[in-house]
Amino acid sequence: MKHAVSFAGVGKTYRRPGLLGARYHTALTDVSFELPAGEVTGLLGLNGAGKTTIMKLITGLLFPDAGKIRVFGHSPSDEAAKARVGFLPELPYFPPQLKPADALAYYGRLSGLSGAALAAAVEDAMRKTGLEPHAGKRVSEFSKGMLQRLGLAQALLHSPDLLVLDEPVSGLDPLAIHDIRSLLAGLNSEGRAIFLSSHSISEVEKLCSRVLIMVRGTLARTVKRQEWEASPAGLEGIFVEAVR
Amino acid sequence: MRKYAALVWSVALNSFLEGARSRFFTMFAVFAFTAVYASVLAGVMAVDQEERLLGDFGLLLTELTTLAYLLFNASSSLLREAETKTIYLVFSRPVPRWAYLAGKLAGALLTGAMMLLLMGAIHLSLLYFRGFGLPPFYGWALAGIFLKLCVIVSFAFFVSLFSTSAVSTLVISAIMWTLGHFAAEARFLAEEAAGFKGLLLGLLINLVPNLQLFNARDAAGAAGALPASVLLPAAAWTLACYLAGLWLLSRKEF
Amino acid sequence: MRSRGYGLPAAALLCWAAGAWAGASYRAPFPPPSEMRAPLDGAGGDMLALALGARRAFADLWFVRLLQYYGRREVSEVSDQPGHETHRHRVDEHGHVHCDHGANYGKGDYPRFLPMARHVLEVDPSFTAACLYGAGSLAFNMERPAEAEELLNYGLKYSPKEWKYLTVLAAIGYSKAQDPAAVAEAIKPLLREPDCPVMLKQLAAFLNKRAGNYAAAAAIYADILATSRDEFYLRNAERELRKLARGPGARP
Repeated sequence: MKHAVSFAGVGKTYRRPGLLGARYHTALTDVSFELPAGEVTGLLGLNGAGKTTIMKLITGLLFPDAGKIRVFGHSPSDEAAKARVGFLPELPYFPPQLKPADALAYYGRLSGLSGAALAAAVEDAMRKTGLEPHAGKRVSEFSKGMLQRLGLAQALLHSPDLLVLDEPVSGLDPLAIHDIRSLLAGLNSEGRAIFLSSHSISEVEKLCSRVLIMVRGTLARTVKRQEWEASPAGLEGIFVEAVR
Repeated sequence: MRKYAALVWSVALNSFLEGARSRFFTMFAVFAFTAVYASVLAGVMAVDQEERLLGDFGLLLTELTTLAYLLFNASSSLLREAETKTIYLVFSRPVPRWAYLAGKLAGALLTGAMMLLLMGAIHLSLLYFRGFGLPPFYGWALAGIFLKLCVIVSFAFFVSLFSTSAVSTLVISAIMWTLGHFAAEARFLAEEAAGFKGLLLGLLINLVPNLQLFNARDAAGAAGALPASVLLPAAAWTLACYLAGLWLLSRKEF
Repeated sequence: MRSRGYGLPAAALLCWAAGAWAGASYRAPFPPPSEMRAPLDGAGGDMLALALGARRAFADLWFVRLLQYYGRREVSEVSDQPGHETHRHRVDEHGHVHCDHGANYGKGDYPRFLPMARHVLEVDPSFTAACLYGAGSLAFNMERPAEAEELLNYGLKYSPKEWKYLTVLAAIGYSKAQDPAAVAEAIKPLLREPDCPVMLKQLAAFLNKRAGNYAAAAAIYADILATSRDEFYLRNAERELRKLARGPGARP
């Protein structure tokens, strides 16, 4: 099976400069895993476990201190890798005075789209994320759920093979969560790999076929759907056992 | 190459539009008011030298207003994009960091050029309504201001990549701008000083861009036209700041 | 991956050095700081002038201060005669009082005039109009030709090809030689220049009138009316033109 992402012995330490010398904080230690192409993989962990660090390493926003990361066979910093990845950070920001299509057009251009292809991509992303009825509104009028949809729309613009989603349903109301879940399921059915982090075990349980559980910067467990479905305590029980 | 040019242009245009949407027009209003007020004062005080005073103060105000806005913009732009995580959406895409920084710089300079042209138009219309024509050195003065802005804005972008706050970037850049205007005086002092002191001063002078080279606004009577040779130091200092900034940005994590 | 090399900072340093090298031959067209004799109350302004690269604007301010200083009437100048409050009257060697209606405007001590006028040029030596105004006032209003020459020579140091300074120097020479006609002739070419101070125009008109060149005097007064914005000189030019229209030698 081809891998969308592979981590081999990856380590990451943050350096915080201070008056009396720098302070160091180890975020990841010797993390190794693969994300199969076309699958939905979840990332669970308590706060500070290293979930966001992993996502930023995949998208080239951070550089590893140790180990090797490949995204579709390339370094995460390579343009070839980035062209195939869509990223939704937690609580994305868009200029409030813009209309959604304008914001998307900018990010579409940054993804190398232009002309008719750009217009079609913007329209498609807005349709998929259910933003079409709100096309006339400004971002300042958007609810948190709509902002999250817009965040997803920008990640989808260039039709990526891998979606990296940091807390995609955080803070959303149940209806918005339902809509996002349906959207992600639809995207996965198109053959896209999805890698999402969440605090919501039930959400991960519903969407993912595999889950990585991070504990204090190390990969504590990799659980497949069959495992948690076979376990009497379910995924929650496995998670609690892993983090304790 | 066309792909990268399109990327740089996209970032530049976005940066320009953001600038135009925010405080752009407020600055114009402030400038227009100050210029009108100054013209009334000039009429009363300078009598037969009103034209000169109005021209000089209009250009000085134009430069200071544009400088203040661009320094504010350059000091806070990258920091704000990192804080709002907008930069995540940019650098997770196939956008090389050199193209992003070039786009940001180009956007800021495009904003500066537009501000200079619009404020110049306001200023010239004021001169016209007061019964004066186009000062002979006007175009050169604006061109010189723009070259100064190129150097100092690229310097501000460079500083913003290692400084801890927008205020410190603003202060450091403003100090550099001031030192840049003192460069000619400092060179004179270095040439007067003997021995080690002179050598040290001479070395230090080279760490500061000599902004007087581009100050056609101020040297209007002595040397109104900017010689083509000033383009080389302007381009060299701007590029130096850009490359140093790129080095920091290429190592920066978000 | 993160850039670990030092190619970029090395290229940046090279570019910076290239900029410094390209600009090394530049010498400012301004007086060195050692020549700036800033009055105590103006030192801050001079620092700003240099720091903001705004010598012209601050020279303008110094010039306005000079105008305000010179525009302030000294006690000896005030006449209490109705209609003659703005100027003083000349008393000749026989004790007769003469009224030139302000042609002698500005006579007085004004001890700070020369340092203030010189300081305008120290800040911006290309401010020709200020130098001409200062020298003209010193030489022909305050009758301090030595100070006027000092000012003009300072101006010539930074603008050695400035023929207007040479012209006024020549006029001062004729003035010292008590040759008013030659003075009027010497400053004649200056009158067409846009930066010719109105005070010199008025002097030329007055000298022409005294020499009996009424047409030339009227033309200069008409030029003052057309080009100056100084209320004092405008009123005086109107009055003189009316007098000349009534006939030469008419009393006010």
